[in-house]
Amino acid sequence: MKALIPFVAGAAIALSAGWAGFPHAIYKSRPQPVDFSHKVHADKAGTKCEDCHAFRGDGTFAGLPALDKCSACHAAAMGTTAEEKNFIDQYVTPGREPQWASYARQPENVYFSHITHVRRGLVKCEDCHGNIGSADHLSREEEDRISGYSRDIWGNDGRPAMTMDGCVDCHRKQKLEHSCLDCHK
Amino acid sequence: MTITRRDLIQFVGGSALGTLFTPAPWRLITDTALWSENWPGIPRPARGEIRAKFTNCSLCNAGCAVRARCVGDRPVSLAGVGGGLCPFGLTAHHLPFHPARPKQSDGKDAIAAVTAAIAGRRPSEHVVVLDSRPGRTASWTYRRAMAALPGGLYVSPPEPPVAIDLRSARTVLSLSAPLLDGWGTPAKVFAARDGFRLIQAEAVESRTAALADVWLPIRPGTEEALAMSIAGELSAAEAARITGLAEHLVASLPQELQKNGPALVIDAGMSPGVVELNRRLGAWGRTVFPRPEAPVPESWRKAAPPTELAAVSDGSVRVLWIDESAPGQYFPWEAIERKLAANALVAVFTSWMGGYARRAPFVLPTAVYPERLDDVPMAIDSAAATFRIAAPLVSPPPGVINPEEFIAALAGVAASDALRQRAAAIHKRGRGTLLTYADGKSVPVRDVKSEDFWKALNAGGRWEDDVAQALEPAARRPFPAPSPQAAKIDDYPLTIITESRLAGLASPSLSQIYQESNVRLAANRVALHPADASSCGVVDGAHAVLESQRGKREVTVTVDASVRPGVVLVAGLAEIGAASAKVVRL
Amino acid sequence: MNAKRYGMSIDIDRCNGCGACMVACAVENNIPPAHAGIDERKGLTWIRVYKVDNGEDYPGRRSAFVPMLCQHCGEHTPCAGVCPQQAVDIDPRTGIVGQMPERCLGCRYCMAACPYHARYFNWFDPAWPAGMEQTLNPDVAPRMRGVVEKCNFCHGRWHAAKERAAAAGTDEIRPGDYVPACVEACPTGALRFGDLNDPASDVSQDAKRPESFRLLEKIGTDPKIYYRSRKDWVHEIANAPRPGAARKEADHA
Repeated sequence: MKALIPFVAGAAIALSAGWAGFPHAIYKSRPQPVDFSHKVHADKAGTKCEDCHAFRGDGTFAGLPALDKCSACHAAAMGTTAEEKNFIDQYVTPGREPQWASYARQPENVYFSHITHVRRGLVKCEDCHGNIGSADHLSREEEDRISGYSRDIWGNDGRPAMTMDGCVDCHRKQKLEHSCLDCHK
Repeated sequence: MTITRRDLIQFVGGSALGTLFTPAPWRLITDTALWSENWPGIPRPARGEIRAKFTNCSLCNAGCAVRARCVGDRPVSLAGVGGGLCPFGLTAHHLPFHPARPKQSDGKDAIAAVTAAIAGRRPSEHVVVLDSRPGRTASWTYRRAMAALPGGLYVSPPEPPVAIDLRSARTVLSLSAPLLDGWGTPAKVFAARDGFRLIQAEAVESRTAALADVWLPIRPGTEEALAMSIAGELSAAEAARITGLAEHLVASLPQELQKNGPALVIDAGMSPGVVELNRRLGAWGRTVFPRPEAPVPESWRKAAPPTELAAVSDGSVRVLWIDESAPGQYFPWEAIERKLAANALVAVFTSWMGGYARRAPFVLPTAVYPERLDDVPMAIDSAAATFRIAAPLVSPPPGVINPEEFIAALAGVAASDALRQRAAAIHKRGRGTLLTYADGKSVPVRDVKSEDFWKALNAGGRWEDDVAQALEPAARRPFPAPSPQAAKIDDYPLTIITESRLAGLASPSLSQIYQESNVRLAANRVALHPADASSCGVVDGAHAVLESQRGKREVTVTVDASVRPGVVLVAGLAEIGAASAKVVRL
Repeated sequence: MNAKRYGMSIDIDRCNGCGACMVACAVENNIPPAHAGIDERKGLTWIRVYKVDNGEDYPGRRSAFVPMLCQHCGEHTPCAGVCPQQAVDIDPRTGIVGQMPERCLGCRYCMAACPYHARYFNWFDPAWPAGMEQTLNPDVAPRMRGVVEKCNFCHGRWHAAKERAAAAGTDEIRPGDYVPACVEACPTGALRFGDLNDPASDVSQDAKRPESFRLLEKIGTDPKIYYRSRKDWVHEIANAPRPGAARKEADHA
């Protein structure tokens, strides 16, 4: 048995490095430029997802709202938090767009149609993005050092990021696997 | 305890086995695959809201209506409103990035040199603006400036004296005019195509000849003889001898044009002979009209009249500005050079290093469509006057010069809102309709306020005059004498026929129709009949030299039996101002 | 929703060989300008206009222009059958034969299999003059070197039409919303696009005309591009077993 100690030691070190250390090493994380609270806006302002993450008339998705969406209400401070004051001083007043780190950025050849999923597929925002809407803070964006994509695409539920398995799973269950061109461009 | 090599190997083996049961190697494989998809140097198209902007294309006088699909503010594709954009118009949004644009300049050294030259001008010497695209509002600005400058002359290529209306024609005889290949306004031509029978008289089986109802394969340069014979000025036998057509064919043409009228005869520039022929065929007021022009402010009428280049005395030009900023017609450089005085100063306004810029010491960079605010001259197939502004789709880069404002400033003429003044003059007259492209509506000008009229023209639209004003019948004119045929030079046995091409910048994506498919003749290609190719010792795709009295050029050969034996088809090279050439294998 | 069969009808008698379709396709699909080394054998011309003629010498010569693009074969699609990567995907709802450059490994077996020579290989990485990348279409992904690409009937526009339909609350796209770039650009009206399964559409009516034909019908690919011409010689060369064979057989007859 003693002869196996180096072997077991090696295995143990590798396992712990791989399970505990590797995720820290492979991701570099950065905070969002503004610590935006979805919860506050949902509760106090009564906004729903689509109020800021809107669909345009031709069906395209506006994605992350531009500064003028925020400036419409926050031209002057509406609350008392330091975070809001910081936002107004650094972004609203000089008219600078915050450089949000997107959790959901896809490879160039992927085509995802929000309106098809939301209005035709009746998929709820939380099903893919997790409970961002009720969170008080924005989580840090953890970006894979090699591939450059975010870890968080599925709202941190542990599925591996950025492969099409997650999409295909659901499409298979819904019997909506028709053509590669449905999701690729 | 000593650590043996065996321990080490066991340790490594254990680590390897352990690693396989962690996510690490599998993630690394996936990540490497994902990394390999983001290949460096493959651009990622910009995202943004898709918007439409409208304008008129100012690359040629057709002035097609354009809808630009923009991502944010940047056009990513162009389409015709109601169709009709040509390959040049479809890729014009690439032009701002063309590598052949001249470098930025503030023009200060040019201004200094020109001011000195004007000051030192002798009384007999001229200060000339050569406008390669006459008929614009900018052209009126030049004419006003030259009227204000002592010794000022405005020179431009001649504009056709008439306009045609294809919709009223039932039989069209085209004398080598590329009617179905860019002559006129494509959308209008093809909309009217099913309404007329087309007879194409041309030496090569061009695109128009291939699609015409009848193709008459005449000898090159014999269009005039054919016109004269139809007008009754030349016997059918003689015309048949000159053109190489069968006599009965030539004899039947006048009857066909009279019986299946209204007739229309066209050639590339609507020469005086063709205009007179049309008058004799009864086309005046039906398919041929005097060339209209949109109204101009009264105060502009004091402008200098256009002068022909040939009418300028040799060696009398002290200062020459050439405006080739908008693609237009080219004079061979020799014709210009002989008019220059010994110490002449030449400055070129251009967006392209390939034209006169190679000849001039001062190159003044200008904005290019779709960056520039300009208007489009009358198209040949608009019987009613139109006013079309090419509104900019993007901002020009820093360091470009506005040619008309430059010249106007030197002459002390106010010109910065010339287009607006013109729009006001049109609006004041109260005639015609305003078409707006965004909503497709057509409104009488009377019902639009002046301010809104100007805004609508800049947002993508055009003004069209009411048609059919009372016409005086055109006077019968003697038929012009035929121009002398250029003497054949033994050294240069092949007659040159030029396939006209839009001058100026062309998007690199046009490689689709040139390099990548040879479906159109590229600038460095010539086409020869197989018999001529074999006597010149060249095969399809061979490199050769095209040589004429004017000079030599390296070309690639296309062998095509659509080309008449004895003819070399050349794609619009300005330097070959010669009539005949030879092709020598390289 | 009934399955559609998207196809085109092309009027050879109207095509003037201007090349607007070729250029519009390049703009829509982010096809880069040709490198210096490229000639007509190595181009990326997803739609390419060929000049054909009746084989006579001048002045009996008559020419015509034939736009060639992927024929979206319906039966035994040759390129789909040979691909080792399953990078060719046939959509049962639209009949569109889709090429997936992201799966392609560049063996070019499909290029050999395609009887219409309608597939093109990226010999080089794409390169645009500085700044011109700002004019790229976000609805189509640029490809890197080493992969094969071909006409997908402007699927980016199909996506946009689907989104418009979803915004209107339906899955059915409006025919006018989905027009490929080549058809939109054609100034003569020679190209038409539509659903061959819809008896009211222009293309399905054009397909039934007596002067309509398809290329290489005898090999059984069931292509969805219908050409038509009233000129007999065009039909002769379209049906000839080999280039020039029609004339030789006529001479012998």
